[in-house]
Amino acid sequence: MTVLHWIGDSIRSQLLLVPLSVARWLFLGLLLVIMAWVVQLAPAQTTPRGRSFAWYEDLKIWAWLALLFQVVVYSIF
Amino acid sequence: MTHLTYVDYLVIISYLAVTMAIGLWVGSYVRSGSDFFLAGRSLPWWAIGMSLVATDIGGTDLVGIAGDSYRYGMVMGNFEWIGCVPAMLVAAFVFIPHLWRCQVTTIPEYLERRFSVQLRASVASVWLVLMACNLGVMLLASAKFMSDLAGWEMSLSILGVALLVGVYTWSGGLGAVVYTDVLQGVIMIGGCLMIVVVGISDLGGLEPFIDKVHAAAHERGNRVVSTSPDSSLPMKTANERFTSAESDTFSLVLPVDSTSPGPWPAILFGLAIIVSPGYWIGNQCIVQRSLGAKSEYDAKAAYVYGALLKGLIPFLVVIPGLIALVKFPQLTTEQAGGALPLLVGRLLPEGFRGVFVAAFLAALMSSVDSYLNSATTIYVNDFYRRFYRPHADEGQMLLIGRWTTIGFVLWAVYFAFQMMAYQQNIYSLFQTLMSFVVGPTLGVLLAGMLSSRTASEGALSGFFAGLATAAGLLTLNLSTVGLWLNMPPLFRVEAPYLYYSIWAFLVTISVTVVLSYFARPDSPEKTRYCIWEWRVAGVTK
Repeated sequence: MTVLHWIGDSIRSQLLLVPLSVARWLFLGLLLVIMAWVVQLAPAQTTPRGRSFAWYEDLKIWAWLALLFQVVVYSIF
Repeated sequence: MTHLTYVDYLVIISYLAVTMAIGLWVGSYVRSGSDFFLAGRSLPWWAIGMSLVATDIGGTDLVGIAGDSYRYGMVMGNFEWIGCVPAMLVAAFVFIPHLWRCQVTTIPEYLERRFSVQLRASVASVWLVLMACNLGVMLLASAKFMSDLAGWEMSLSILGVALLVGVYTWSGGLGAVVYTDVLQGVIMIGGCLMIVVVGISDLGGLEPFIDKVHAAAHERGNRVVSTSPDSSLPMKTANERFTSAESDTFSLVLPVDSTSPGPWPAILFGLAIIVSPGYWIGNQCIVQRSLGAKSEYDAKAAYVYGALLKGLIPFLVVIPGLIALVKFPQLTTEQAGGALPLLVGRLLPEGFRGVFVAAFLAALMSSVDSYLNSATTIYVNDFYRRFYRPHADEGQMLLIGRWTTIGFVLWAVYFAFQMMAYQQNIYSLFQTLMSFVVGPTLGVLLAGMLSSRTASEGALSGFFAGLATAAGLLTLNLSTVGLWLNMPPLFRVEAPYLYYSIWAFLVTISVTVVLSYFARPDSPEKTRYCIWEWRVAGVTK
């Protein structure tokens, strides 16, 4: 055993204490945080510059949809 | 092994002919180095988005993920879901627009503007070696697949794919790569969808399919326990193992003591937070097509579109492995890598096999052409023009770009032949190679983009410290080294490439931050390429 084994085993034993349900919430939490971040993006960051645009050209909608699908997937599987 | 009929060959040849026609047609518009390397910065979002997905799913992925899904289940879907979508969206709104505004051709070029030429040359060298080797790995994957499926001579497969991809990439550069990727992406998705639909129908529908997968996983778990002599791992009781085998098959979140490549800490901290951002922000092969977008909006939209498509991909690449688990439950661990060719040969009727082979070739070619073009771009821009001919004109850049493409094709063929004797799972091999570079590259990119206090000397040292960490961990984890040093392996999962990335990234960031604290700050000429400084200075209009 080396110091690397000791570090690895220590981290591993701590992670083993985390219930799988909490781990799943960490996955979902990451997705939800990004969803919240996408919602607050300024329109200038998500729409074409210098011209008028249709509602479906706002990237915020599609980014949010992609994340929503992920939340559904990680809630099921 | 099965035989392809004339109908199958007709489908395959039609696909190859259309691909070649598109590539050569785009090539007829290429007049300069800028056209060759960045498609004249004219690419629309829909083409880039499909190209991103097609490039990311290579032939190695189709075969490798199906094989790993056979062994480990749905957990392999993480590589396309949380292992892509969050990073793609953050990249879409933060990093890709910044790189596009900087008007760079390569990631190493950005690193010189932000840091130093030493870091540019170092990162470019490492990526060049990785890409060049990966070209050979991908050609070998195609040859193995075609050999397993139809008994094609492996050498001929390698030479044939190399020639086809080489010709249209030589002709059209990035534009040819992206527009052929659109066709290849459609065919790949269609072909994979076909095998999923046919496979699930063959098993009686969705519910019977799920039941049968559970039963097959149970049986496989039984067999693994009864035949595994491995006593180095803390073994569960037989009952625990059976229950785990059943319930884990459809689970994306696996426990820490799972021996699959995807225990949850590796997926969350290694894949989602480090490897995936490193891949979507720092991989020249991926980022290059966005740098060729016709507007900043197109560059962003391409990543968002790609993230939407990514939601579907795991169903297409993982489910075939699960179908194979039901159809052929007796495959050994070594045979599982051939699960997909076996499934295609046994399940699909005449003509449909040709469609799937076309899909496989599409997946393969879309990745090989991208790596070929990006390796060429790095060599020509970061070495030839930077160090040898700084004043090379556009015509010379085009010429040297095309000759370099030929050189990389020849190298890839040579490397594939050399790798033929190597029996390791090719997908794991590729991931291991990637893990060496992705973490350190992401570390210096993030440090440079997000903090003006990061110093060049710190970033350079951090990059090499990260590489050394990944290489050191791999070495210490080798069973031969463990025997020699009389110590157990460092990691308990079979393919710990995600863990290499975590540690390489952490060491890179730590060394970069600590050394930057003591080093002299970079000049404003350098720090203006930091995202926040760029915005404050209003450099872009």
